[in-house]
Amino acid sequence: MTLLVERGTAASAARPRPPSWIPALTAAGGLATAAAVLLVLGFVVAGVTSGDVDWVELITTRTWDAPSGAFGAGAMLWGTAAVCAIALTLAVPVGWSASIALSEQLPPRIARPLRSGVELLAAVPSIVYGLVGVAVVRPFVSGAGDVPGGDSLLAAGLVLAVMVLPTIVAVSVDALAAVPAATREAALVLGLTRREVVRSAVLPLARPGMRAAVLLGLARAVGETIAVFLVIGRADGRLPDPAAALSSLLSPGQTLTTKLGGPEPVLAGTFGDHRAALSAVGMLLLVTVAGATLAGSRRHRSRVHRVRLFRARRLRFATDRAVTAVRMAAIVLPLVLLVALAVLLLSRGAVGLLPSFWTTPALGASGGGVRGQIAGTVLLVAVAAAVSLPVGLGLGLLLGEYAGSGARGALRTATLTLGGVPTILLGLAGYAFFSTFLGWGKSWLAGGLVLAVVAVPVVALTTTARLDQLSPARREAAQALGLTRSQVIRSVLLPYARPAVLTGLLLGLARAAGETAPLLFTATVFAGAAAVPSGIVQQPVQALPTHVFALAQDAADPAALASAWGTAVVLVVLTGLLLLAAVPARRRLEGSS
Amino acid sequence: MTGTAVPPGAAVQADRVLVRTRERVLAGPVSFSAASGATVGLRGPSGCGKSTLLRALVGLLPAGLTVEGTLHVLGRPLDDPGPLPQLRASAGLVGQSPVVFPGSILDNAMFGLRHVVRAPRATLRERAVAALEEAGLWAEVQDRLDSPADQLSVGQRQRLCLARALALDPQLLLLDEPTSALDADARDVVEASIAGLSRRRTVLLVSHDVDQVRRLCDEVVDL
Repeated sequence: MTLLVERGTAASAARPRPPSWIPALTAAGGLATAAAVLLVLGFVVAGVTSGDVDWVELITTRTWDAPSGAFGAGAMLWGTAAVCAIALTLAVPVGWSASIALSEQLPPRIARPLRSGVELLAAVPSIVYGLVGVAVVRPFVSGAGDVPGGDSLLAAGLVLAVMVLPTIVAVSVDALAAVPAATREAALVLGLTRREVVRSAVLPLARPGMRAAVLLGLARAVGETIAVFLVIGRADGRLPDPAAALSSLLSPGQTLTTKLGGPEPVLAGTFGDHRAALSAVGMLLLVTVAGATLAGSRRHRSRVHRVRLFRARRLRFATDRAVTAVRMAAIVLPLVLLVALAVLLLSRGAVGLLPSFWTTPALGASGGGVRGQIAGTVLLVAVAAAVSLPVGLGLGLLLGEYAGSGARGALRTATLTLGGVPTILLGLAGYAFFSTFLGWGKSWLAGGLVLAVVAVPVVALTTTARLDQLSPARREAAQALGLTRSQVIRSVLLPYARPAVLTGLLLGLARAAGETAPLLFTATVFAGAAAVPSGIVQQPVQALPTHVFALAQDAADPAALASAWGTAVVLVVLTGLLLLAAVPARRRLEGSS
Repeated sequence: MTGTAVPPGAAVQADRVLVRTRERVLAGPVSFSAASGATVGLRGPSGCGKSTLLRALVGLLPAGLTVEGTLHVLGRPLDDPGPLPQLRASAGLVGQSPVVFPGSILDNAMFGLRHVVRAPRATLRERAVAALEEAGLWAEVQDRLDSPADQLSVGQRQRLCLARALALDPQLLLLDEPTSALDADARDVVEASIAGLSRRRTVLLVSHDVDQVRRLCDEVVDL
């Protein structure tokens, strides 16, 4: 029997031209991301190799004295370790308890708005936390101990605890929510109490994700520059004897980030071994933060090998009630923080709600409004949006579809690393490349591009996460109709990812808008920027976060502090608007298939 | 179905019971009574509220649903069941698809036991082993009690879930479509286990499978 196949009419007819901009978009996304990663790595590596770095001396000695050639970062490592230890010691138990209360104990009707509140806290720009540190935590520490001014490791640790708490809660709740409801029911029907269900059935499955939450919190704490900078006192060489370690928490210190955030890296006299030592500090920072971010973002498919076994207790029901009460109490703390933050902003920064504050230019050291700063921030964010939308989308599509699994893993790692680079290093790399190498000096374009690097990983990862949920059947159905890869992306993936791209862009921009550290050296001045830049080279802008930063350092002057609070309110309102715009997009995302 | 005379020791007694949302009735009204030691089948098409009724018996009613009528479980009225964990330990529910906890086969068999019963580990182990025997799983797992439970086949897992409930020595066993997630071979093995359960226990079996209910149950109630 012969099987005759009619050579298909549809297959041989002229096809519509496949959309050629799709490969271009994904290539641009991949290349731009690779370029950004290489730029940061290249900046650090070039710096380290520009002089001799004695790594042993760097890590073990405390004296940092550039003129005499002594470069010991021991005190900075101690400072970083100490502030992070304080932050995690306070934030982890509260954060974990609160997340269990949110996910396991409160009815969803109540838990859902509380979760949104916590996410809101996580999105508050770090400069605002820095301002809280200056205005509240520093006086508190100064009053509690005998610390003149209150600048201390303790103050920095407290500020960081407040900053990492929302991250820990939000990520832990996600981990708990991923445990199937059937697991809880299977334990409940055996007669376990609520607490026993959590401990023996839910936590063994959620624990890897809750540990990841701590790693991400740690990454945030180690990499934070601005908020720590304002309250730590930035005193070099303070490496206490082990016996005095505890009391040294009440004295000023220095961390890896605050060293790099100071003027040293960008001074004209910084070259040779001095530059190499600073770059080595940057490398330590990069390795720690990127490492913690990567470890925290790993997908937890690992089997649970060993389970902790719990035995029946006396007073099962009383214990159950007591533990529940403690967890409920833990949820109160993030809420108190949210309310306190709102009250602080509104009471001290009420001026920021006046229209005149938005429309008048700044005057002198601390007077006037913030018209120029708003315009500058809008310009920077617009540049960041224009760049990060195509790049982030291209990268997200590349991650979601194009790359084979091996290449995809490498790309994902690169994206996560980029998202995990401490922003102070982004700022310094941007300064080295745009301001010095390209000769732009301080320029709005340099600032916008650095902020785009902040937003791109957020856009890309949100897009990929959405594409991962696409049912393979839908993709297959399109392929079965003979669509090319580009056509599948154009007609199946892109429409499906669209709401996620928008959400990711808004979230990324909200984060970028509040960033201070990347702008300090690359783009902003306190005063004297032109209203509309007339070129690229030497065209700085004024921006809201750096304005707050400059004013907050002048904490002795009440007028400066008042103006800082007002500016912070404007910044929070603007980032809040971006987040608010993301909410309906996200709701549509969760509602649609 | 035989007569509705209520023996004094009924483990479950339902009188004109309705399961409903605010808008409509999902199941019932139904009246039945399960005498101690009897195996009673609740039969009805998918989605008619059988599983919901079974969950309601141990206080696991999904939000938004209510139960009307009079319902007694193990001698206590449903609206005053006492501490729910105690009720659930003596009225074991086994669900449609098996859920095993992380850990070994023995860990799973002892999972409820070690929380609910204060006794030396050796005693708990003995009870778990007896339960594995009653569930018809012992012969297959006796030489690998410490290997991870998620390596078992789906039919074995379902019997492990049964053993986990049996280890608590429940007076009442609530089986919710215990074989609907299984293939034909696994179904036969699980059915054999159910048929071999101790006659001391009252069994309430929910199923959409007419033949299964007929094979296993002394009485059948149509929903």
